Amino acid sequence: MAIKMDENQVLDRLIICPKCHTIHQKITISKGKNAKCDNCNKILYHYDERILDHGLALGITGLILFLVSNLFPLVRVEMLGHEQHVTILSMIFSLLENGFYVVGVVVAFMVFIFPLMILIVYITISWLMIQKKGKSLTKDLLILLSKLLPWNMVEIYLVSILVALVKLIGYMQIHFGLSFWSLTLFVLLDIYLSKSIHIGELWELRHRIYDAR
Amino acid sequence: MPDKYIDESTLLRCPICEAVNRDREGDIYCHRCGSRIFRNPKLTTSRAWAFLITALILYIPANLYPILVNEQFVSKKGNTIIGGIILLWEEGSYPIALIILVASVLVPILKFIVLLYLLISANLKKHRYTKVDQHKLHYMTEIIGPWSMVDVFVVAILTGLVHVGTIRVIAGPGATAFVLMVLFTMFAALSIDTRLFKEKGSHGSD
Repeated sequence: MAIKMDENQVLDRLIICPKCHTIHQKITISKGKNAKCDNCNKILYHYDERILDHGLALGITGLILFLVSNLFPLVRVEMLGHEQHVTILSMIFSLLENGFYVVGVVVAFMVFIFPLMILIVYITISWLMIQKKGKSLTKDLLILLSKLLPWNMVEIYLVSILVALVKLIGYMQIHFGLSFWSLTLFVLLDIYLSKSIHIGELWELRHRIYDAR
Repeated sequence: MPDKYIDESTLLRCPICEAVNRDREGDIYCHRCGSRIFRNPKLTTSRAWAFLITALILYIPANLYPILVNEQFVSKKGNTIIGGIILLWEEGSYPIALIILVASVLVPILKFIVLLYLLISANLKKHRYTKVDQHKLHYMTEIIGPWSMVDVFVVAILTGLVHVGTIRVIAGPGATAFVLMVLFTMFAALSIDTRLFKEKGSHGSD
């Protein structure tokens, strides 16, 4: 058993590049610096003393932006005196009403349920680790988080809104709603969050917080 | 330069928590997050094949049926993916036509080719080394794969938005097939066993 423990400690000093699978030995880096893969230049980890505070702050900001994005119309169109607007939820309901259950449910998960869950999970993990509580809960949440991340497609959705609108130019007058701008901010924040907080670092931090004593 | 008594080629990256693990016989549980990260490669490979073949079959109705239906007064006009791209090109919206072409036609086809290549090459045990960096290729397909959802989101937005006066746009049956196709290719990419990938070059790097 003692031998196995040693082996895991040795393994924990290594890191494999997610992009090109090159094996590296972890080194200590100074504050604000990134460790990059020497083969493909992909960022492997980043030294951030206050990663949890940042996670919590970004998570809460994201949640506020996400709520605003869902309360107001994304886009409004006008044609011959008729007017129509769309929100993320009204779009999902209109798909379901028209009988497109599969499309409606999948879209609902990718642009509404998963992004919301990711934010809540980020906030809960950061808060629990700051409080040094919930050792097994943080483990389950971190596993859930890495399973959710590939299915979040808000940034693709934002590009799709623009593509859809270009199709309508010339037929209708288009007005951007408040939610469009808050969704844009949300996407920028989401990209920043996924670039600055690596799952592996949260796992290491969790180990240091709960197993150090 | 990992420690001398660990064989580099037996090291694995946990897809859940990114911890480094050692390749063992049978099922592998990650030592950090406890998830079962690798199973019998035969089982996962046949599962990846099943997902990929399902996706390939779904790609046919996704292209044959209209993805979008325009309703104006009493006339109904359906557009397939290719038809929509041609229409946009004729109207002069070249950038949008290109975005849709890349996202809904090139990305899925590229992904099919890459996944087929990885799975077939995993079956051929003869060569240990290849000229292609298979890990990088797999990483790329996971990054570009979700972008094929663009067309589906466009259809969803138009369905929710365009109900103005007598003009209405709703999704078509092709959209359902397309969504399922994207889902199954993502499942296939996620279930590929990365242990079967071959090393780049003639001998291990670094």
